[in-house]
Amino acid sequence: MAPRLRPPAHQVSRRAIGYWAATAALLWIVLIGVQTVIVVTSDDPPAFLDVTLVISCVLAPLHLIVMPRWRYRVHRWEVTGEAVYTQAGWLKQEWRIAPVSRIQTVDIERDPFEQLFGLAKITVTTASAAGPLRIAGLAHGRALELADELTKTTQAVRGDAT
Amino acid sequence: MSSPEVVVTPPAEGTPEAPWHRLDRRMLLIRPVLDLVRSLPVLLGALLVGRGEPWQWIGLVFTAIAVFTGVSHVLTSRYRITETQVEWHTGLLLRKQRAVPRDRIRTVDVTSEPKHRLFSLAAARIGTGRHSGGKGPGKDELVLDAVTIAEAQRLRTLLLRRKAATPSEEASPPPEQLVAAVDKKWLRYAPFTLSGIAVVGAAVGTVYHFAHELHFDPIQFSLVQTVVGHFADTPTWVSLVLAAAGLLVLVSLLSIGGYVLSFWNFRLTREPAGTLHIRRGLITTRSVSIEEDRLRGVEIREPLPLRLAGGARCVAIAGGLREGKGADKSGGLLLPPAPLAKAHEVVAEVLGEDPVATPLTPHPRRALYRRLSRAVVSVLLLAAALYGLAWLGALPDWPWQVALVLVPVAALVGWDRYRGLGHAFTGRYLVTRSGSLDRGTAAVRCDGMTGIVVERSYFQRRAGLVTIIAPVAAGKGHYRVLDVGEADGLALADRAVPGLLTPFLTDQRDRG
Repeated sequence: MAPRLRPPAHQVSRRAIGYWAATAALLWIVLIGVQTVIVVTSDDPPAFLDVTLVISCVLAPLHLIVMPRWRYRVHRWEVTGEAVYTQAGWLKQEWRIAPVSRIQTVDIERDPFEQLFGLAKITVTTASAAGPLRIAGLAHGRALELADELTKTTQAVRGDAT
Repeated sequence: MSSPEVVVTPPAEGTPEAPWHRLDRRMLLIRPVLDLVRSLPVLLGALLVGRGEPWQWIGLVFTAIAVFTGVSHVLTSRYRITETQVEWHTGLLLRKQRAVPRDRIRTVDVTSEPKHRLFSLAAARIGTGRHSGGKGPGKDELVLDAVTIAEAQRLRTLLLRRKAATPSEEASPPPEQLVAAVDKKWLRYAPFTLSGIAVVGAAVGTVYHFAHELHFDPIQFSLVQTVVGHFADTPTWVSLVLAAAGLLVLVSLLSIGGYVLSFWNFRLTREPAGTLHIRRGLITTRSVSIEEDRLRGVEIREPLPLRLAGGARCVAIAGGLREGKGADKSGGLLLPPAPLAKAHEVVAEVLGEDPVATPLTPHPRRALYRRLSRAVVSVLLLAAALYGLAWLGALPDWPWQVALVLVPVAALVGWDRYRGLGHAFTGRYLVTRSGSLDRGTAAVRCDGMTGIVVERSYFQRRAGLVTIIAPVAAGKGHYRVLDVGEADGLALADRAVPGLLTPFLTDQRDRG
């Protein structure tokens, strides 16, 4: 019998799809916009710009359609009384498990877009430099609940967690 | 505004209704100026480079953003100390909340930079002993950038009070037990550390730099000219061999010198109270103490040349030691390059057992193909790129030919890397070995792990392999078991941190 990691139980908020699409769209708009402006206004635009512009225009909608949905499928999380468990990654998959007893800080972060979509991301750090656990695209209320729950259970376990 | 009748007693610090504090507003006078000064290069650079262009004002935008961020940071940051945690909120557009449980707080550093001293302010850094992830200051610790010195002191006593109880009596220095001391015979390992290369490189760099600055062409120097002229007559390969031999001798001598300088008088002792004490150095002496309950394991490092000579170094994996920062880099060094057997002896002495010596489980054959393909493909890509440049006429032909010659070498290294891969579980320690040019065998104490990370790239997935990462709050911060079979790796992780993985594992018998 070969043990395997099962995916964490919960998905992030569905609104995250919109959020990811919006942030990516902003990037594409800037990218395509700059190229277009140069092509249109410049007297002698470099030839490669036409090519990259066409490529960008083809890639952008593909990226905007595929990426958010894929990311939504891939990003999962679960919190039990003992541990936080996250899954992320597309080509390079990554599963992170941290025992609640080792949690040091719980951060909630919201950029303007996340505020617009009513989302938040949670960062759970441990004492190690191997990197924190991140859950992005949670509904704001859910994130607050979760952070509260985590800090409470962390409190129950004493020690300096190193 | 307050009416004298209503006496509002402020809720006490450390209760759930603890009051919020803000940063000192006087910082508003300093911070914008500092931000302005800091963004001057961008501002001026954009103005000068973009003279007459419409985008020359972009620097102004950046400066405005920097100043705005600074001001809003001072204005919006607030913190409070409740019974159980320190809470911190900040940000206007990018809002952040952070909660640090109070019993996780290990340090409160109060620093007063010149900018603070102007108004007798200070920055209080509340640290949880988390290992620096190298992502800037604010990431690892909670920094209250502008509080009065009195407030900073109050924070320190309030937050560290719990720990102030430990007595620090040092009546009589207890007798120390010698674990290891440097041996003259170990000098023979010095050349294999190749530490002299850095010195030679630095020296050549400096000389070249000065020669260049002073418009001094070394070729015109008569001695150099004689030497070069002499070599011009001999065949190329002879001069190459001679140069290589000369360099080798020079590097060896310098390495020996370096060894003497940094490891002379090396003594590793243990005090009965459970502290390892390391003293070393000929001119600058370094002295490091490691509390044994901060010791999370030990690593034996055998870089390829040293390994060929049968030598090894031994490094402590301990929390609270600064790693990778200049002179502190080898703070946890338990043994300078010495015979491998001695390294194992030190490990056994320090840990009370020698987990590094346990026979390791080799990794599946598929890991070999991965090592080989990674080594060979990267060199082939390099060769292709060099060929492309040669084809374009930017480079001569020989670089890509050399790269092609390196392919078998790369394959050999890949094979050696595979041979090195291995892991073991000894009950208290997780042992993992990897690397060829810089091989390291780490024994990490299982109860020191702060979780488990499992990684699988696309190619690893096709080969049925995973990388298990053991995060620890010490040493490098994480130790990886590279390219282990998926089932083996998960079983290993499950045994190393009992119960942590179990709820997330499924048997896949049904899926075949």
